[in-house]
Amino acid sequence: MVSAENSTLQTGSPVIATGVSQRFGSNTVLKTIDLRVAPGEVVALLGPSGCGKTTLLRLLAGLSRPTTGSIHIGDQLVADARGGAFVPPERRSIGMVFQDYALWPHMTVAQNVGFPLEMQGIGRAERDSRIAEALGLVGLGHLADRQPGTLSGGQQQRVALARAIVSRPRLVLFDEPLSNLDRELRESLVVDIASLLRKLGMTAVYVTHDHGEAFAIADRVAILHSGNILQIDAPEQLVGNPSSPIVVDFLKLGLVLPAEVSNGDLVIRGGMHRLSPPAGLVNGSRTGDLFLPRSALVASGTGGGVASGNAISGTVVHSMFRGDGYAVQMRFDHDIALEMFSTTRLGEGTIHDLDISWDRAFWYPHEDVQTHPTHNS
Amino acid sequence: MRLKHLTARVFGNGGMIFAAVAPVLAVLVAFPLLFVILQAVFPDIARGIFANPFSRFVETLFDKHLFHWTLNTLMLGGSVVLVSALVAVPLGVLRGLFRIPFAGLWDVVFLVPFTIPPYIAALGWIMALQPRGYLEQITGINFGGFLFSFWGVVFVMTLNVFPVVYFAVSRMVASIGGRYLEAARVAGCPPMRSFWRITLPLTTPAIAASLLLVFAMAIEEFGTPAALAARSGFLVLVTGIEQRLSDYPIDLPGASLLSVILVLIAMVAFMVQNRIVSRRDFQTVSGKPGAMRPAELGAWRIPVVVFFAVIGFLSAAMPILSVVLTASTRTISGGLAADNFSTDNFAEIFANSGGAMEALGTSLLLGLGAALITGILGTMTAYVVVRQRTVSSRILDFLTLMPNTIPGVVVAVGLILAWNQPWLPITPYNTIGILVLAYCCLLLPYPVRYANAALRQVSVSLEDAARVAGAGGIKVFFRILMPLIFPSILAAMLLVFAVAARELVATILLAPIGTKTVALFIWRQFEQGSVGMGMAMSVMAIAITMTIPVAVAIWARKQGRLF
Repeated sequence: MVSAENSTLQTGSPVIATGVSQRFGSNTVLKTIDLRVAPGEVVALLGPSGCGKTTLLRLLAGLSRPTTGSIHIGDQLVADARGGAFVPPERRSIGMVFQDYALWPHMTVAQNVGFPLEMQGIGRAERDSRIAEALGLVGLGHLADRQPGTLSGGQQQRVALARAIVSRPRLVLFDEPLSNLDRELRESLVVDIASLLRKLGMTAVYVTHDHGEAFAIADRVAILHSGNILQIDAPEQLVGNPSSPIVVDFLKLGLVLPAEVSNGDLVIRGGMHRLSPPAGLVNGSRTGDLFLPRSALVASGTGGGVASGNAISGTVVHSMFRGDGYAVQMRFDHDIALEMFSTTRLGEGTIHDLDISWDRAFWYPHEDVQTHPTHNS
Repeated sequence: MRLKHLTARVFGNGGMIFAAVAPVLAVLVAFPLLFVILQAVFPDIARGIFANPFSRFVETLFDKHLFHWTLNTLMLGGSVVLVSALVAVPLGVLRGLFRIPFAGLWDVVFLVPFTIPPYIAALGWIMALQPRGYLEQITGINFGGFLFSFWGVVFVMTLNVFPVVYFAVSRMVASIGGRYLEAARVAGCPPMRSFWRITLPLTTPAIAASLLLVFAMAIEEFGTPAALAARSGFLVLVTGIEQRLSDYPIDLPGASLLSVILVLIAMVAFMVQNRIVSRRDFQTVSGKPGAMRPAELGAWRIPVVVFFAVIGFLSAAMPILSVVLTASTRTISGGLAADNFSTDNFAEIFANSGGAMEALGTSLLLGLGAALITGILGTMTAYVVVRQRTVSSRILDFLTLMPNTIPGVVVAVGLILAWNQPWLPITPYNTIGILVLAYCCLLLPYPVRYANAALRQVSVSLEDAARVAGAGGIKVFFRILMPLIFPSILAAMLLVFAVAARELVATILLAPIGTKTVALFIWRQFEQGSVGMGMAMSVMAIAITMTIPVAVAIWARKQGRLF
C-alpha cells in the first residue's frame, strides 16, 4: 500500500513525559511514569486491559489532564500539572487513530481525511492534492467520494490512518487500532502501518494488548502493568532479557517457578522438585522466582536428570497438531502450565522430564538485596 | 393436505397466524378507512348506494372553509414545530453536552407532559390564565387574550409535545459525544467549531425527525384547539370535522373529504420522517457512548438551570397545579381563598354524582379491553412480520402501522361510515363495542412496534435450539419467545391502556348515547360549568395514568423474571 514517493517529509518530534500520573478520585490509574520517545521512533505501549496504557495515550493526546508531571512534544510544553499549563488537543499538532475508527458519518472519505487540513486553514487546491496523496499512501485513492459507512472495517481503518497522517503531525497516536479487525487483516495492516511510519519518519505511540502487534510495529516496547512501566526495550531485548516475572508471564516466554534456596539448591514451592543450579545464579538471595525460557528446556532422553536436580518433570495435559509439529500443554507442580513445542505427539497424562540448560536460566530474587536479575552467562 | 401445502406456499410458515390475524385487521383497520375514501367519492354511500360519484366533490372541495381550515392546520402545525424547536433543541443540546445540575430530575419532569392528556392541560391553562384566573388573582396580570388566540393554542400544544424533541436531541447529542468529538479535537478543531461541524450535522436528522413527529401530533390534536380557540372561530381540520359531524345538518361527504386531506398531510409528514430516520448516515451513528465526560457549564450554570426550571414548571407543574387547585376549591368564583378549599368535588365523584363512577369504570374497562386485544394482535402480527419476510407479512406490517398516520377523528369518521352501512347484518355501532374498535384501531401500532423491536432482539437460533431440544412450534412460542418479549409487550399494553382510558375525540363522536367515559365526563362537566368536578376527575385520570405503569413496572421488577 505504501506506493507514493516522498523525499522531504518532516521527521516527527521527540516526546518527553516526566513524572506523569493520573488519578480519578482515589483510583490511581497511572503511577508516576517517565517516557521518552525519540524523533521518528515508534513506541508501543503493551499491557493487559486496565494497565493504564490507554490513559497514558489520552494524556499525550490532551484528551485528559495529568494529575502530576509534565509532557513535552517537541519544544512545546503541552501539559504541566504543577504550573497548570495545558494545551488542548486541537493545538497539539498530532494525529490519532481510534479503536472504532471514529470516521464522521456525515462526511465523505475525502472530507474526513481533509478535515485536519481544513482546520489548519489550508486552501482547497493544496488540500485536494494532499488528500489524494494521503489516500494514495494507504491505497484507497479510488474511494475518496464514498461515505465511510459503505466501507469495510479494514478500509475504514485505512481512512482513519490517512486522516491521522495527512497533516504530517509531530506525533501520531494509535489506540488499539486493529483490535476490531480479524486476524488476517490485522497482520497485513500492522506491516503496512509500520512501513508507512518508517517511510514518513513519524514519531508514534501505539497502544495494544497484542504482543505480536507490538513487536511487529515498534522500535521499543513498553510493558505496562497496574499503572507502571515495568520495562521499555527493543523487542529482542524484552524477550532475551525480561526484567521481571510479570513481563515473562505476560509475554508467555517460559516457566516461572517460585522457589526457596536451601543449601545452594532451589526448592520449588508447593512441589517436590529440588533443582541444583550452578553456583552464582542464586547469588545470596533466599527466595525468588526461577525463570526458564522455552529454549532452556529440552525433552530429556535419558532420565536421571530429575534426580540430579538438572531436570523438571511435567504432565502432558494436551497435544495439539499444528502442521509442523505439536503444541503441547504441560502442567508442573503448583498449577503452573506451559505450552511447549514437540515434533512428536506426547500422550495425554504421560509424564516427561525436561532437561534444564542452566546457562539460559534467570533468577529474580524476592529480597531487595539485588534489584537486577542475575543471569548465569 | 393439498390445501395445507398451498397455504404454506402462499403465506410462508406463519400461515396459520396470518390466516387468523388478517381478517381481524381487515375489519379493524382497512374496513373503516376504506369507507372514508368511498364517502369522499360517493355522496350516497351512507345509504349503501354507489351512485353519482364525485357529484358533491367539487362543491365540497371549493367550500371556503376547507381551504381555510387546511391553512389553519398547516399554520398551527408549523408554529408548534417552530416554537418546539426553539425550546427543545437548546434544552436537548445542553443536556447532551454539559453537566446540568439535577439532570435526572429534568428528564423525569419532561416526561410528565406525556402523562397529562392535552385537553386536561388546556383546561388547566384556562383556569390559570383566563380573566380572574389564578394568575390574575395572584399577580393581577390577565393573559386571557393571549390564551384564547392562535398563539395561545401554539403555546399550550408546544408545552405538551416538546419533550419528544428534547429526548431525541439529548440522546443523539450524548451518543455523538465521545469519539467523534475527540477525533475532531485531535484533528485540530476547537470545541465551538466541533459543535457546528460535527455535533449539529449529526444531530440534524434526529431534530428533523422529532419535529415532524411533533407536526403530526399537532395537526391531529383535538382537545386543545377545541377548548381554546373554537369559541373565537379558529377552526382546524380536526375541529372542523367534529363540527361537520355534530352540528345539524350532518355533512358526511364534507367530513370525509376533510378527513382525507388531514390524512394526506399526516402521511406526508410521516413519510418524510421515515425517510430521514432510515437514511444511512443516521444509522451509522453507533450509540457507543464515548468515554467523554460532559463538559462543565461554568458561569452559565445558573441561567441554564433557570431555563430548565422555567420550562419544567410551565410544562409539568403549572397545568397539574391549576387542575389540582380547581379540583380542590368549592367554587371557581371563590378563588384562592382559604375558606374555599374543600374536598367536595372528590366527594361528589365518589358519590357517583353525574355518573362519575360509571364513567371511571367504563374507561378502565375500555382501556383494559383495548390493551388486551391490541397486545395479542400486535404480538401475533409482529411474529409474522419479523420471522417471515413474505408479501403477506408486508401487508400485515402495513395494516398495523398505518393507523399511526391516521388521526383519531378520521378513525371515528371511518367507523361511523362503515358500521352504519344498511347491508350489515349486525353492527357494534351504538354499543360500547364501537369504542373498543376505535381504540384498537388507533393504538394497535404501539404493541406491534414494541413486539417488533423485542422480537428482533431474539435470535432465531434461540428458537432453533428449542426445536432441536424437542419443543413444537406452540411450545417454542410460549416457553421461549413469550418470556423474552413479554416485558416489552406489557409496556406497550400499559401505554395502550393509559391512552385509551382517556381518549377524547373519537369518544365524543362514537360513544353511544348515555355512555360516559372519563374524557367525556371531564369535557361535558367543563362545558356545563361544573368545572370543579371535571377537574377532580382529571386529577384521578392523571393519577391513574401515572401510577399504574409505575406500579406494574415495580411489580415486574420484583418478579425478576416474568415466567
